[in-house]
Amino acid sequence: MANIEKQRAIIDFTLASLMRRKGKNAALLVVYTLVVAALASVMFLTKSIRSEAAAVLVDAPELVVQRMVAGRHEMIPLSYVEKIASIRGVKSVRGRLWGYYYDPVFGSNYTLLVPQESPPEEGKVAVGQGVARSALAEVDNIMPFRTNQGALFTLTVARVLPAGTELVSSDLVLLSAGDFKTLFGIPDGMATDLVAEVSNLSEIPTIAAKIARLLPDTRPIARDEILRTYDAIFNWRSGILLAILSGALLAFFIFAWDKATGLSAEERREIGILKAIGWDVGDVLMMKLWEGAALSLTAFVTGVILAWLHVFAGGAALFVPVLKGWSVLYPAFRLTPSIDLMQLAVLFFLTVIPYTVATIVPCWRAATAAPDSVMRG
Amino acid sequence: MIVLNQVSKVFNKGRQNEFVSLREISIMIPRQQVTVLKGPSGSGKTTLLSIIGGMSRPTSGRVTLDGRETTSLPERFLAALRRETFGFIFQQFNLINGISILENVMLPAVPNGERHATLKGRALELLAMFGLEARAATRVELLSGGEMQRVAIARALINNPRVIIADEPTAHLDSKLSGELITIMERLKQEGRTIIMASHDPLVCNAGVVDNLVEIRDGEIRDSAPAQ
Amino acid sequence: MTLRASTIFATYTALGLLLLAVIVIDSSSRSVTDRQQLEERRTLVKSLSLTDLVLFTDARYTRHPSMADRHTPFQDYPLSLEHFPSGSLIPPPPHVRSYGKY
Repeated sequence: MANIEKQRAIIDFTLASLMRRKGKNAALLVVYTLVVAALASVMFLTKSIRSEAAAVLVDAPELVVQRMVAGRHEMIPLSYVEKIASIRGVKSVRGRLWGYYYDPVFGSNYTLLVPQESPPEEGKVAVGQGVARSALAEVDNIMPFRTNQGALFTLTVARVLPAGTELVSSDLVLLSAGDFKTLFGIPDGMATDLVAEVSNLSEIPTIAAKIARLLPDTRPIARDEILRTYDAIFNWRSGILLAILSGALLAFFIFAWDKATGLSAEERREIGILKAIGWDVGDVLMMKLWEGAALSLTAFVTGVILAWLHVFAGGAALFVPVLKGWSVLYPAFRLTPSIDLMQLAVLFFLTVIPYTVATIVPCWRAATAAPDSVMRG
Repeated sequence: MIVLNQVSKVFNKGRQNEFVSLREISIMIPRQQVTVLKGPSGSGKTTLLSIIGGMSRPTSGRVTLDGRETTSLPERFLAALRRETFGFIFQQFNLINGISILENVMLPAVPNGERHATLKGRALELLAMFGLEARAATRVELLSGGEMQRVAIARALINNPRVIIADEPTAHLDSKLSGELITIMERLKQEGRTIIMASHDPLVCNAGVVDNLVEIRDGEIRDSAPAQ
Repeated sequence: MTLRASTIFATYTALGLLLLAVIVIDSSSRSVTDRQQLEERRTLVKSLSLTDLVLFTDARYTRHPSMADRHTPFQDYPLSLEHFPSGSLIPPPPHVRSYGKY
């Protein structure tokens, strides 16, 4: 009990001492907090998108077969369907019709897709929330398209996909197969790519290898590869994030350096005074520990909470300009909170330990020296 | 009773600027009396006080406090001794700037782990004794020299020490304030405390309250006698 | 009565850590609305045979990174450098980076 009282008394003095340079320490705290918030925001965004992908893409196609010509992704003939269907272990194969459409009026890119199940009627489309926002389109509005021949082609919005599905549907325009082929001038007998179902999921690599051998101009993509694509997202080694991480590490280093480059004469004198009036080495070092810990702990706690609010309540609003890139159409980030505890722990140690150590270490000599130098005036 | 036996203090021993501050000092300081170390600056008074009060260790020789040797005590125990047994009043006051006088007075008691309310109460009482309780929250550097002196004394008393050590206490005071200081020392002596002061101020050396006068010069004791 | 500095600090830190604990616990349990929305998305993925999340719509290979191959970032001509900002956020997927496949 006495120890708690003692720690509280030491903290009182430490905080009073920090308050002497209110401006400087407040600025330090603010900057430190913001650095932590930036890092934590990136962590939260990354983790929740990864979790989202893992949870939502489990039902992605088991096998996608693309055709490559001269290094470009080309339409695939439907005659390949039979060839693939004949491979042992393949349950079903069908062509997928999908592609990109650039809307020059709004500068946005849409993903046009023909659904396998209950496609819209001819002349009608179902659009994602992002499309509705970007093209200012509501139900019963007309959306003008241009065919690949340059002719005007209008489609009516029959429905808007639910807001809850935005993360997978935001830029989608669902239309009938006939409309798709007319719009893009695609002949019958061709598809964008093929999707296949297999009877035994563990056979997928074997079957993929067989497809590649059978049809050398194709490239198979398996479901687990689709899922693993998102494991690498916002990886620390990718450009912009590496810049953020480097900036943050540099900031931490600078703060710690500022503390670690020795004591001022004033600080040394004060430690001498404390020793003289009866504080022992342990008490002095404890005070220094609290000095470092108070600031870094507060920065950590505040920064992480701010990050959480920013990403999960604020839709990562501050990152949007970076994430958006050149996109005009952009999904509203309604993410389910997901936290990587390991990374949070690493952030904690990175935030608190170096700074606290950097605060204590330079005082070692002054704290252990005999206080008689104080008497010398 | 504090006994020093053949205490020497050498600075920068073995180096070019080796300096002998104290030469084999042997002295006995009686309890509950006022002892003044008299001598010019550079005589080693401050070093002697520092060793008596456990703030530095002698290069050779022994120091005992009530029969218990303190020279070879580990640092932690020495710090506890400084905290509980001794109360220091420095020549330069050595208060911590930027915090209130109340916080300054409470500082020596922080490592004790006392209940905050109790400690605060005692500190306020001490300030009241010196007429400063109204300014308890004032930052220490805003006080006058005399007021700072009194805060320094209050701080020295917070742990109710048996021994008060004061280094040139009247150095920054005018005659009136010096007189007040002597009065405070009288009161402290009446409370049963041992008082050791270093001074070359005749006001202090010739004060009636002084029981023993020790003359020091060039690190040696020239004369030690009960005051007239 | 003014609060002691250590009281303010201790209270703030305790509340903060408590909030963090709440955040951590909350993230590991999904609420009913969350589950519903998750189901909605999963169902749509299945019925439309979708392969990617909608994160960036500026380039083909950032819109459908799982479908991208090594050439799509350099789509215009061989020396055309990567010029979409979002491309620096999402690296090529593992199956594009690995060698000697099939």
